[in-house]
Amino acid sequence: MSEKEKLALLEETFDVDEGALNPEMLLNDIDEYDSMTKLSLIVMVEEEFGKKLTGAEIKGFKTVQDILNVMV
Amino acid sequence: MIDFKDKRILVVGASSGIGEKVAVVLAEQGADVILLARRESRLIEVCNKIGENKASYYLCDVSEIESIESVVKIIVSEHGKLDGMAYVAGISDGDVPVKYLTYERQLTTFKTNYFAFVEFVRQVTKRGNYNDGFRIAAVSSVASLRGEKAHVAYSASKSAMDSAIRCIAKELGPKGICINSVAPSMVNTEMYQHFLEVQGEDSEANMKAVGRQYLGLAETIDVANAIAFLLSSDARFITGITLPVDGGFSTT
Repeated sequence: MSEKEKLALLEETFDVDEGALNPEMLLNDIDEYDSMTKLSLIVMVEEEFGKKLTGAEIKGFKTVQDILNVMV
Repeated sequence: MIDFKDKRILVVGASSGIGEKVAVVLAEQGADVILLARRESRLIEVCNKIGENKASYYLCDVSEIESIESVVKIIVSEHGKLDGMAYVAGISDGDVPVKYLTYERQLTTFKTNYFAFVEFVRQVTKRGNYNDGFRIAAVSSVASLRGEKAHVAYSASKSAMDSAIRCIAKELGPKGICINSVAPSMVNTEMYQHFLEVQGEDSEANMKAVGRQYLGLAETIDVANAIAFLLSSDARFITGITLPVDGGFSTT
């Protein structure tokens, strides 16, 4: 999957407009990155990439790129 | 005083934290317990803990609804009529926000938490499968009556169970069959440990949940004791209810 496709998946998960996310963005600066989005992220990564994110992994995410890195 | 001497009780979902405790408590009070679950190694452990002469087990994946009729038939033919059933099998839908809550995901939760429950009730209450004074107790949840984010299927499945219990109680009351559920809040089980792992101990969700149950976190014995009471003849005038076992959660 290309980075563009991954970003599109994330934008859907975050419920933000197409093109709203870029890899350098800090997650803390994204209003939509709340507890529900984190739950959505767990389900999306499980469905699309077959892996179950742990709470510790999610806590460790600082940027959008950190999430893209586990989307493999 | 609760006494299950010479009583034969089926425990569905006996390898889970609460299920195991229910089986142990019932056996301590004299019951012969028949354990049902998927994981054989866990069932063997529980049987060994109780003692082989008081406990036996059968393998059953309750989500395979069509298999329930035959497993109940086998149990009754090998052990005789039942005096009670504890339905402890249950799964959490794993914190799925509604936008990802597909029909398939809901079905998975509903199969174990609701459809299998009703099918067990249907099978064990067939003529010839139960003794007079037959009682059923199931594990519901405080989620049955409350809204929580990302718990749609779990909460709805427990509400469905409690609604079904009210109807079945009325329908089977004339046969002397009583049916109830208990509604625990947070219990210290594997399911809770998983919740902590996802949400974090200092998360808002955990604070909210455990903060409201001012008696602290429930242990499995607290739920097992309530189930044992509802299965006992001491509870003979109680039917169709959902008993909160929640350390105060539902009253604040």
